[in-house]
Amino acid sequence: MNAASALSLVIVALAILLAVEAVRVARRWHVGRPASVDWWAGLAAIPKRYLVDVHHVVARDPYAARMHALAAGGLLAGSALAVLGLVPPLAGSRWLWALAAIAFLVALAGGGMVGRRRYPTRPARLSGGAFQRLPLLLVGYFGGALLVALDAVLDLTGPLGWLGLVVASLGGFGLVRLLADGPMRHAFAGALHLAAHPRPGRFEGERATALIPADLDAPRLGVAVPADFAWNRLLGFDACIQCGRCEVACPAFAAGQPLNPKRLIQDLAGSFKDAPPAYRGSDYPQARPVAGVSGPERPIVGAGALIHPDTIWSCTTCRACVEECPMMIEHVDAIVDLRRFQTMELAAVPAGAIAPLSESRYAEEPGGRALAARTDFAAGLPLPLIAEKGSCDVLLWLGSGAYELRHGRTLRALVELLRRAGIDYAVLGPEERDCGDLARRLGDEATFADLARANIATLGRYRFNRILTADPHALHVLRNEYPAFGGHYEVVHHSALLDELAADGRLALAAAPDGRLTYHDPCYLGRYNGETDAPRRLLDRLGLERVEMERHGKRSMCCGGGGGAPVSDIAGERRIPDIRMAQARATGAKTVAVACPQCAAMLEGVTGDVAEVRDLAELVLAAVEAAVPQGAPR
Amino acid sequence: MKALVLLSDGRHPVSGRPAPAGTELQAIALARGLTEEVAGLYAGPDAAAARTALGHGLARLEHRRLPEGDDPLPSLAAAIAAAAPDLVLAGRRAGAGAQTGLVPYQLAEALGWPLVPDVVALTVADGVLEAVQALPKGARRRWRVKLPALVTVHPAAPVAASFAIGMARSGHVEDAPGIDAPQDGTALEERPYRPRPRLIASAAAGASAAERLKAATQSAGPGGRVMVDPTPEEAARAILEHLRALGVLKPAPGRD
Repeated sequence: MNAASALSLVIVALAILLAVEAVRVARRWHVGRPASVDWWAGLAAIPKRYLVDVHHVVARDPYAARMHALAAGGLLAGSALAVLGLVPPLAGSRWLWALAAIAFLVALAGGGMVGRRRYPTRPARLSGGAFQRLPLLLVGYFGGALLVALDAVLDLTGPLGWLGLVVASLGGFGLVRLLADGPMRHAFAGALHLAAHPRPGRFEGERATALIPADLDAPRLGVAVPADFAWNRLLGFDACIQCGRCEVACPAFAAGQPLNPKRLIQDLAGSFKDAPPAYRGSDYPQARPVAGVSGPERPIVGAGALIHPDTIWSCTTCRACVEECPMMIEHVDAIVDLRRFQTMELAAVPAGAIAPLSESRYAEEPGGRALAARTDFAAGLPLPLIAEKGSCDVLLWLGSGAYELRHGRTLRALVELLRRAGIDYAVLGPEERDCGDLARRLGDEATFADLARANIATLGRYRFNRILTADPHALHVLRNEYPAFGGHYEVVHHSALLDELAADGRLALAAAPDGRLTYHDPCYLGRYNGETDAPRRLLDRLGLERVEMERHGKRSMCCGGGGGAPVSDIAGERRIPDIRMAQARATGAKTVAVACPQCAAMLEGVTGDVAEVRDLAELVLAAVEAAVPQGAPR
Repeated sequence: MKALVLLSDGRHPVSGRPAPAGTELQAIALARGLTEEVAGLYAGPDAAAARTALGHGLARLEHRRLPEGDDPLPSLAAAIAAAAPDLVLAGRRAGAGAQTGLVPYQLAEALGWPLVPDVVALTVADGVLEAVQALPKGARRRWRVKLPALVTVHPAAPVAASFAIGMARSGHVEDAPGIDAPQDGTALEERPYRPRPRLIASAAAGASAAERLKAATQSAGPGGRVMVDPTPEEAARAILEHLRALGVLKPAPGRD
């Protein structure tokens, strides 16, 4: 018996312990509701999902990507090689132990990077506690095992090998102990989460951003207690590695509202356990006091529960956390599920949301305004009703922004552009109900379903080729969420259509240099629908000097206008649009181009040193008008 | 303690779709603040609008079926007599259709109960209802009324709960025939709303243009005194004098 074979045996023993712990962890997910999971496809897809989809996210932080590749790769390779040392023909093979030594050396470098990131000062986004001890255990296991391997290669049989064995055993045992409720849980839960992900489409190239319809026939609507979550959602919460990328991306957190996506997921991961481990990361800003009791059948949301209601109502559903999460956790789904119970069972919605929800239900319009008044913005412009034409090429979906003066200007510009480009367009007019976006994000699935079915019935009566809208929220709902209710449409955002018309030459644009400009991506266009190129192509056709904010494209920051946040109105220390406007100003831009009525309203509400807020349609119309010589017939 | 909320055949003022009346929902919220035992009562042909109240926190709705156009009063009075609630709450004014806004008053008369209109807050102690009544310009008046009593709810009452489909599903409707009470064709005339001219104080005949303008634009308030930078003693004395003049405070001691 030498140190090397002893290490092999220790690793086998640790693997058995690991399996026992893993079973214990997995049994806790059993409290969740059943979910249909394609296990064979999921398990087979783990390597691809890990190496492609997860890596795509992790690699945005190259240091973390290298760190993880070295530590995890070295850990698996080194341990596997060491166990191979038990196979008789390989036992005592120097080549084998040389390979193992290389693997553990690589792992040690990774472990060192884990430590380097946390010592001497730990970044605010990273958690402390067991996470802070993790590099010590990693270095212990890797370093000890390296000594053993070196000892086996160089045939020292000295005390160094035995010392290494002791250190490696202690480190390895410490790591296994961190499996159930510590940092190492992410490895096991994370791998299974990739296999049993509730949205497998995410890995197949789909955007998979549509909310999943709630079962309105269920005895209890939404999620009240952890046991109401499907088991693979509980698994997803356990996959969290507390890297804090979501926390950095979250606009509500930045604004000092009581939401921290990382803490939320940790609360949810603790919610179905009787004694969850202490959380050692940054808290909810202005954290409200809660009782902090957990258990599979205990309520999750409430001052007497685990998560304060203000936390779930602070979310703008911008999906920045989901976009940043290397563990593919679906934060927004969880928040909407929690909201659904609050709204549909308890009627416990923020005061400001009561009126929009009631009006959505009884007037089919969240502002309670007459549906026929939606077209008032277009006074004097030709705005044919599809009811009179019967069919058209492009059906213009106006959305609730049409009632606002600001977005009315955008829509007037858009209608004028359609007219000039000779598009055969029409509107639903008084037959257009609200698309239901606000009701759905506020958790009122019943009202959303009523609105969706009514709109789908209306749209079914007319013939049109595609739906055009200047509201990314409506676009997302019509394009991605109505299919679940039987409405399948080709929906195009005005940025894409205008880009198409400019490319075809149907809109002649004149370069209208107007100083420096930056484009603010709407969440529901960029992150939810992946459309970040068309608006930029369109802006570049205008001959403007376009600069990018640090956060742009799919990693853009929310304006604060989504998810019903403006009506829920949970107070923060700052306002989200102020933060975003400051980012726009930091680029030196004179103008910030928007493509969404919410963004326009939120950013225009900023006071002080601001950039001018112009919608793409307004900018394009200015360029088209500049292209027409003075006095020439239009 | 048992409370009953009268529901009307409401319509949304803009969309015209069946919808609960706002003050009736606020009445439900007020009643639920007093007692768990809150039921709704509706007499009429179609309870579509009244049913929506189930989603706003009402657990039970009693529907007295009536033919179109019948007077709901006898059915309501009979249902109230049968249920024997301590408190009956109603909306404040007519909302839609042929509603008159008089039903609470007629009911109070028929039952012989006191009625407090326009309440914004309610508390009950030892069978006595303490109701805060909203008066114009934000003024409030407190009433103490022996139960049973009837109140109508003012829009300034606390906001109503939002609609929760889960509650609407779990609430149940008790359907029973009402008491037929055909009305003798008091034909109601429907006219579009016409804003009435604002009443303005008129100056005496033959007054100058400036005087007429002054009369039209100045509010005929009780006047008052403007004190600029007074000492606290002076200010306090002036306030006390004013309150005594209004009769809010008793005359100063030592004076008759």
